[in-house]
Order: sequence, then structure tokens, then C-alpha cells
Amino acid sequence: MKIELLNLTKTFDGSPVVNDVSLTVASGELFFLLGPSGCGKTTLLRMVAGFYEPDAGTIRFGERTMNGVPAHDRNTALVFQNYALWPHLTVYENVAYGLRLRKVPEPELDQRVTAALAQVRMTEQRERKPGSLSGGQQQRVALARAAVVRPDLLLLDEPLSNLDARLRVEMREEIARLHRAAATTSLYVTHDQEEALSLADRIAVMDGGKVLQVGTPLEIYHHPANPFVARFIGEMNLFPATGPLAHALGAPAVGPDSQAQIGFRPERVILVPNAESGGHPARVIGATFFGSRNQIVLRTPQGEEIKVATPDYLGEGTEVRFTVPPEHLLFFP
Amino acid sequence: MKKALPFLLAFFALFLVYPLVKVLGGSFFVEKIIDGHVTQIFSLDYYGLLFANPFYRECLGNSFLIAAWTTALTLILALPLALLFLRADFPAKTTLSALLLLPLILPPFVGAIGLKQCFARFGSLNLLLDHFHLIDPLHPPDWFGAGGFWGIVFLQTLHLLPILFLSVQAALANLDPALHDAARNLGARSLTVLRTVTLPLALPGIFAGGAIVFVSAFTDLGTPLIFDFQSTAPTQIYNLVNQSDNPLGYCLTVVTLAVVAVLFLLARWATRGDYAMLSRASAAGADGARKLSPLAGWAATLGVSLLIFVSVLPHLGVVIQSFAAKWFFTVLPSQWSASYYHEVFTLPLTGTSLQNSLVYAGAASLLDLILGLAIAQLLVREKFTGRSLLDALAMLPLALPGLVTAFAFLIAFSHGPFPVSSHGLAAAINTLWVACFDPRRNPTLLLVVAYALHRLPYLVRAATAGLEQMSVDLERASANLGAKPWQTLAQITVPLIAANLIAGTLLTFAFSLLDVSNGMVLAEESRFYPLTKAIYQLLGRITPEAPALACALGVVAMVFLGVSLTLASRLLGRKTGQLFRMG
Repeated sequence: MKIELLNLTKTFDGSPVVNDVSLTVASGELFFLLGPSGCGKTTLLRMVAGFYEPDAGTIRFGERTMNGVPAHDRNTALVFQNYALWPHLTVYENVAYGLRLRKVPEPELDQRVTAALAQVRMTEQRERKPGSLSGGQQQRVALARAAVVRPDLLLLDEPLSNLDARLRVEMREEIARLHRAAATTSLYVTHDQEEALSLADRIAVMDGGKVLQVGTPLEIYHHPANPFVARFIGEMNLFPATGPLAHALGAPAVGPDSQAQIGFRPERVILVPNAESGGHPARVIGATFFGSRNQIVLRTPQGEEIKVATPDYLGEGTEVRFTVPPEHLLFFP
Repeated sequence: MKKALPFLLAFFALFLVYPLVKVLGGSFFVEKIIDGHVTQIFSLDYYGLLFANPFYRECLGNSFLIAAWTTALTLILALPLALLFLRADFPAKTTLSALLLLPLILPPFVGAIGLKQCFARFGSLNLLLDHFHLIDPLHPPDWFGAGGFWGIVFLQTLHLLPILFLSVQAALANLDPALHDAARNLGARSLTVLRTVTLPLALPGIFAGGAIVFVSAFTDLGTPLIFDFQSTAPTQIYNLVNQSDNPLGYCLTVVTLAVVAVLFLLARWATRGDYAMLSRASAAGADGARKLSPLAGWAATLGVSLLIFVSVLPHLGVVIQSFAAKWFFTVLPSQWSASYYHEVFTLPLTGTSLQNSLVYAGAASLLDLILGLAIAQLLVREKFTGRSLLDALAMLPLALPGLVTAFAFLIAFSHGPFPVSSHGLAAAINTLWVACFDPRRNPTLLLVVAYALHRLPYLVRAATAGLEQMSVDLERASANLGAKPWQTLAQITVPLIAANLIAGTLLTFAFSLLDVSNGMVLAEESRFYPLTKAIYQLLGRITPEAPALACALGVVAMVFLGVSLTLASRLLGRKTGQLFRMG
């Protein structure tokens, strides 16, 4: 189902938390809201779920306007950050809850709950209470509970933020698999760029209650709309367009008072072997060894510091020359 | 849930605000004939009459003194007791702390019967002393002093001690142990820590508990009645009930109400920034209790046991009397019998009253469960205008003595809201009003409402505590999956806070069985008597078996109360004490 958000605004205690946000999520899309904490993404999600009423703007599911429709009539399914599993019900009953409300006949209900539990590999724990499950297991039950009702819209509120790194990767794949299988329109809130880049069909990057850019992971990574997006997604070297480095790298000329910036990703910096090959001189002032890709910090004679990601490891103090291919040089007017 | 708000407000308007306004109006407005017309004008004349009468002045003074002495004595006993139980380990501590609560399960006025048997002029103690020729049998000492004044104080102290003990213990247990550890760390001795840190921090909680004790003692009707101590404010209000056209009853009720209101406001003020609540203990009492040396430990055990023995003396008296076939001028009964327990259930008066009490208390608990849950849900989960009004209305009954509501109910519901001379619609409403409410026809509805109103704060508090501990997301998850609000309430919220709700309901039930004032005032015909009034009636009879029968009925009540309270405190654990405070 297509989801449309038109000029949504929500104010808490006088300060706008969501400020005039418009978005369209296509049917079957896995759409991400990505931003730092406090950017308004969770508030936006909770307005879509119906827990908060927007102060202004329209929410539309398909052709239906949802403003004023209570949460229990929206047929969304939300996976909560803290899972919100009911401690007094078994795993099975937690998952069956939504189907019982929908008066699904018992044989079909049992079959669907069993299938949903199998899908998240929780069949063995079906009679346990949530309190006795690990974080990852609780997360999987929460996913099953939401997915089993076949909602018009699946909402995920930072679903992986309470898991450790290894589980996070595992669950990421689980979610991707579930989404591929059901193709439910999904709205996924996170502050983790890796989750967004690896899973999303499209991403909306938010900050300060506003949407800064909407696009596919590739578009957002390669063509960030502004320095904030550029820095928030991956790493980015940013310099004033009026500076000597911009000039040296062949950036477009700007007036002396311009606030424009140039930017390039650390992995796009090329280290050249010697002066004959061209490039600009710099000295390594910091180096962190990571194995396949190492983090190097260069300083130019003019004092500009540049982050570089490279498979070669260079010790501190090494004199190098570097260049950035013009097609990877970004310009933010 | 917000849809419930108008119903709740209407309930409070009808059963709380209207009766009180009626009493206030009756005390401040005087009928005067001006130019041949009867008009109501505002006047303090009645209060002038009340305070000009030395007898009523004495009554108010006595009530005040009884309350003051009781509060002082319970505080003196409860503070060290609470500290001892919180900070020290000694033999049989758990058992003793449960036994300390025993006096709670006995209505003080039933205790008075037992106490009289033990300490009256020709009671067991004097007879025992006489046996050893220690006293002059012609002039036995009067243990109750001043016509029963000290007997009342003694009984009230014993009865209210557990409440204050629980309340003080809760206030102390709420303190973050880190606070007194910090003081010790800076070099303060134990007593200095107590004086400079512990007590100041716990003071609001202690004050709130003390206020409850003061109000209970000030407004208790049952105990002075049994001692036949006429000169207290409650006994006089009771005597004036039957003269509902006598405005002095109104005035006396309003003065009582004023005393209570002042204390209530003081308690609110004292707890306005309750530090104990602010710095909620991360691990309350986790620093553990100190083990006393064997000698000190046994001394503590012995001391507490002695206190418990004294405080269950009235109970013992009641139990012994209930089995006494013949007890006249002897230390212990000369003949024993269990037949009274059979009679309790078969005699019309006692059997009916037992049944009535169970019905009244059961219905009141159910009503409270519904009201309490709705109010707690609104207060915790919703934002709406009038929130603090609802909060105040729901908590007000805590400060409202049973006697005041009973009197106000009688005034407000015996007659319609419009003047007797009305016509048409107003007259029809009057007729309907009396048909629905008039306690002289059938007090069941009013008794149930009165019982429910009084214990409502316990349920609201218990439910509020449960809701506050429960994540809203658990309810949202249910709504999100398509559950209507009532489905979420029934399937998620109620099961999750069931322990709190059951405990609150049990407390309502137990204390409704205990209630004296409402039944005394509102139930006029014997077929509507609750068991407390049946006990009182039996005591007034001169047949030889009446006191024993009354005591047997009292013991049955004790059993009911004991079971409910035990279950409730099991469910609530150490939070029980927080229910017994004002503000």
C-alpha cells in the first residue's frame, strides 16, 4: 500500500519536533527514516502508527486519509525498540494476539503462528514467557508478532539498537529475508547508517525535524544533497570552496565570500608514488591499522587535514603525494 | 478512557460534593423571617451557639486531646520500631513483623469489649490483683482513667500503631541508602546520621502517616461508644443524627471537617517535595540490616514480643469472651462453650448482619475496582483539562472521616434536592430521589457508595503504582495490532497490574468490613445492619449471652479481615506502607 505524508508538523512544548515533512512511500517498498537521535524520525513513525496526532498535515494510506483514525484501526504493525512483548503471555500467545483480534479461525491461526515462529526460528520456545528469552530471541518474536498479521504497513522503530554487533548483522539479514518474502510496505526508523545503506530501497535523511534528502542508498552515498548528509552517511572530507586545497583540486571558482564547500570520500583519495606522477604533497600525521582498509590522516603544507582510506599502510611521518579524481569531487554551493 | 470522565465527575458531584455542600449550607445558612417571608441568610449564629455551649467545647477538646495523645504515643512507638526492623537483625524478626500488624484486623471498638473485660473495675486484672490481696476490692483502681479517656487513647494507639509503623517503614525504606552512607563516610556517628539525614528526609512520610493517625483517632466513633464516653465530637454527632433539624450536628460535623482539612493541607504541604520520593532508592535497603549481638538481639525480640502481647490483649479478651459460657467476677470464665459460633450464623440479627456486611463490602470493592482502574488509567495515561481536579476528588475521601460522609449522606439523601413546597418537575425529581436513595427505606446503595468512596484512594494508588511501572509501549503494541481500547484494557493492562488491583480490592473489602460510622448512622432497621452495628446492638442487650455473642461475631470479622489483609500484603510486598499515608 502506498503511504503519503503531506506537510506533517508536530510540536512538543512549543518546539517543532517534526517540521513540515512530506514523503511518499511506494507500495512494497522498504523505506528508511535515518537521522541522529532527536531528529524527529520516531515521532514521525508514531504519527503514522496513530499514537500521536499531527498538529498539521495529512497522512494517507492508499487513498484513505488517516488523520483522526485511532491506532487500533490502522492495520499497521510496529516492531518496538524495546520489543514490548507482553510478559504475561507465552511466545505463542504474543504472536497469536493480533490474529485473535482479527477473529482468524483457530486452524488457520495455529498454522499462521506456527509458520511465523518457524520463519524466525523460535518454534522451540513457543511455550516460554518473554522474560526467559535473550534479547535476540525477543526481537525475533517481536518481528513474528508484527509480520503474522500481514499489516498494510510494517513499522520498525530502531529494532536492532538493543542488540550486540554480531546479532545485529544476523537480524539485518532476517529482516531483509522477511521483507523479500512478504513485500509488505515498510517504514524503518534507525540512526545506524549501515542498516539503512544495506537494507533500504530508499532512505529519507532527517535532521532537526526536517527531511534533508530522499533517495536510494547509492544516490545518497554518492550524491549527498548537502554537507550534513555527506558527513552523516559514511565519512567525508569537507573543505571551504574558497581555500587553497579546493583550488589545487580544480574545484569551480567561487566569490571570496562564498560559504560553498567541496567534499570527497576518504576512499576516493589516490596516493601517487612520486612527484613525476603529479599530485599534491602531504605528510602522514595519523595512521590506524584495520587490516583490509586502513585509516590515514594527511596534513598538507597549508595545514589542511585529509582522511584517507587505503589498503596500504603508511607510518606516521611518511611524506606522500595525493590526488582526487575530478569525478569524485563533490561541490556543495 | 476519556469517555469515562463525565461519569466519574458526575459520581463525585453527586456523592461527594453535593452532600458536603448540603452540610456546609445547613451550618452556615439560617432561616429567618424577613417581611413575612422565610429566607435563608448567611450567618455564623449556629457556630456561636455551638462554641457558647461548654459541653460541646469539652467534646471538641476531648477529641482533640485523644487524637493528640494517640498520635504522640504511636509516633514514640512506631519510629524506633520501624528503625529497628529496617536496620537490625534479631531472632524471629519476620514472624514478629507480621504479628505486629495483628491489631489492624480488629475494629478498635470490638477491642474495647475485650479491654473492658480485662481492665474494668471488676475485670480480670483487678480480680487477679485482689486474689493476691494487692488491692482494696472495695476501691479497685480505675485503669481506664477519667471515665474511659485513657482507655480510648490506649486502644486507638494499639490499633493505629501498625498503620504508622508501615507508613514510617515505607518512608525510611524509600531513602537511598547512599545518602546515609555518604554521611557516615564523612564521619558522622549513627545517631548523628539519624538526626541530620535520615529523619529530616523521612519526615514528610512520617508526617503524612501521623496525619492519618490523628484524623482516625479524632473521628473514631466506635470506641467512645463502647466505653460510653459521651463527651467527644463523634459521639455527639451520632447523638444529633436523629435530630436532623438540629443545626448543631451540622456545625459539629463542619468543625470536624475543618480540623481534618487543615491536617490534610499540612500533610500535602509537608510532602510537596518529598525527597524520599525524589531520590528513589536504587536498591532500597540494600545496605542490609545489621546483625545485633546475641544479648541485644534477644532484648529486641523480647521487647517487641511484649509490645505485641499488650496490643493483642484486647483480641485475647474478645476471643476468650466469645467462648465464655459464664464469666462473672472471675479472672477467667468459669464455663466454656463454642455454641456462640453456631448461633452467630443462625440467629437472625447476627446471620443477617454478616450477610449484609459481605454484600456491602463485596459490592463496594467491585465498585472501587472499576472506579479506581478508570481513574488511575486517566491520571497516568491521559492528558486532559481537569486532571488535577479528578486527582483531588479521588484522594479527598482519604481525609474525609466516615462519620462526616455518613452524616452528610443522611442529610443529602433523606430528602429531595428541591424544597418540599415544589411543584411539577421538581416535585417529581424529589420523589424519584427519595425512592432511589433514602437510607431510611433501604440504605444498601448509600452504604455501598460510602464504603467505596472511603477506600477509593487505596485502589487508585495501587492501580496508579501498577500503571506507572508498566511501559506504555505494552499497551501501544496491543492497539497497534488492532485491539480496541477495552480489549487492550482487558487483555493487557488488567492482567499486568492484577496483583496491585487484587491487593487494592482486598484492602477495600477488609476495611469496609471494619467500617463503623457509616453503618451506625445510615442503617436504621435491623434487617440492614452491617456486622459492626449488630455487635454494638448486642452489647446494648442485657441478656447474659449477648456479650459473648458480640465477641463471637467480632472474631468472625477478625478472621475475614485477617485473611484479606494477609493476601493483600503478600501481593503488595513492602509497598503496603505507602498506602497508609495522607498526601
